[in-house]
Parts: sequence; structure tokens; C-alpha cells
Amino acid sequence: MSPFQPQIFDLAEKRLAWASERQAVLARNIANLSTPGFQAMDSPDFQQVLSGTVGVQPVRTDPKHMAGTVDPGLTARPVPETTARTADKNGVRLEEQLMKVADTETLHSTVTAIFKSYMTMFNTALGKSS
Amino acid sequence: MAADLNTSLQVSAAGMEVQVARIKVIAENLANQNTTGSSPGADAYRRRVISFQSRLDSALGVETVGVKSVGTDNSEQPLRYDPGNPGADKNGYVKTPNVNSFVELMDMRDAEQSYSANLNVASTTRSMLSRTLDLLK
Repeated sequence: MSPFQPQIFDLAEKRLAWASERQAVLARNIANLSTPGFQAMDSPDFQQVLSGTVGVQPVRTDPKHMAGTVDPGLTARPVPETTARTADKNGVRLEEQLMKVADTETLHSTVTAIFKSYMTMFNTALGKSS
Repeated sequence: MAADLNTSLQVSAAGMEVQVARIKVIAENLANQNTTGSSPGADAYRRRVISFQSRLDSALGVETVGVKSVGTDNSEQPLRYDPGNPGADKNGYVKTPNVNSFVELMDMRDAEQSYSANLNVASTTRSMLSRTLDLLK
């Protein structure tokens, strides 16, 4: 394996973008904790986003049209969760949402740590002390 | 929708803002829990109820939360026998506010909890943001 792996940075960037996206989705869920009729959302799995399986399927109105999906990139649309709703039709469970926030933060710090350690390796190779 | 960490901070701030508005309404209700009408047979203070809705913040391009309306609770106002009161009707009964302090206190607890949940998310987002900035070092 080549020690020069720019894919690592690319992957890290994507994952960080995904984490920020998810954080925004979760922040919205928690902000709407007492909004009647609000349903909690979550970002699609990162694996699904990477493999492009969450893309939009365009309608084929002609048999000559090509099949396929449109890759929405990393800004994939959040999907609604199927949690039980309370009497005011609100479907946000605080504990679950806070767990997810913690998860996202852990993931974010893991990715930044990996990114940094790769940068250190580059600096070492370039003869700079980090 | 491109949401970055600053957006999350704004959304959490909106979440805290509505909970503060809710606390304000609760404070108003509790402060007025003994406010009766001043003329005979007049209505006493009516309990106010706040309701929220998810709404699109066009500047941010994401949905946040906002106050939908502050309405009044139209439930019946309990009567109290107090013939000397200026608000007493001809039979000596005074309408008292339909505020139940226990309900208000529970609501306050709920608002406080939601506020700190939003604050938690904001501080988590902040630490994520500063870690991202640390990548530059």
C-alpha cells in the first residue's frame, strides 16, 4: 500500500461533512422538542451515502431514457424516524437524540484525530517537526 | 440543503429562544394566578398557552423552530364565594383565573429541560467546530 494516501483526506472530508449535516438535523429535532406534530429526522447511513444508494430515482417517461439514480452528494435528504408519538403528535425522544449527538461528536473527534495524525506523518516526511 | 456546524448552532439558539418565550408565558400565568376582574361579573385573568411550529429560516436555508401563537385557555373559570370583592356578581361569586400552579410548574420543568438539551447540543457543536479549526494548526 502506498504511504501517500490522498483518499484518506478525501474520505475524512466527506465524513466530516456528513457529521456536520447530521448535527444540524439533530439540532433541529431537539429544537422542536415541544412542537406539536413534529417528526424526528435522521441522516441516512454514511455507508449508504458513500455508495450512492440514497440517490433520487428519476422517473422514466420513455423507454429510451437511461436508468439510474441522481447522486445527491453528501447533502442527502434526512429520513423521518418511526418512533412512537406522544399525545401532541410529537415524535422526538430526547434521550435518543442526545445519544445520537454524542455519537456524532465522538465520530467527529475520531475523524479529526485521524486527519491530524496523517498530517503529522506528512510533516515528518517533509522533515518538519509538528 | 447544505448545513454546516454554524447552522446547527443557529438552530439550537432558536430552540433556546422558544423555550425562553415559553418560560415568559408561564411566569405571566403564575404572576396572574390571583388576578380577578374589577367590575361585577367580569372575567378573571385567562391562562395563556404558547404553541410552537417548525418553520423555514430563509436566511439559513434550514428549518428551525419558532413561536406559532400565544392563545388563551378558554376553559371555565372557577367561581369563589367572596361577596365583598369588587368583581363579585349579584350572588356574591367571583370568577377566579383558570391557572393551575402545578400545571404551570410542570410546564416550567419541561421548558427548563428542553432549554438545557438545546444548550447541550450547542456546546457539543461548538467543540466540534473548534476541533475542526484545530486541523489548521
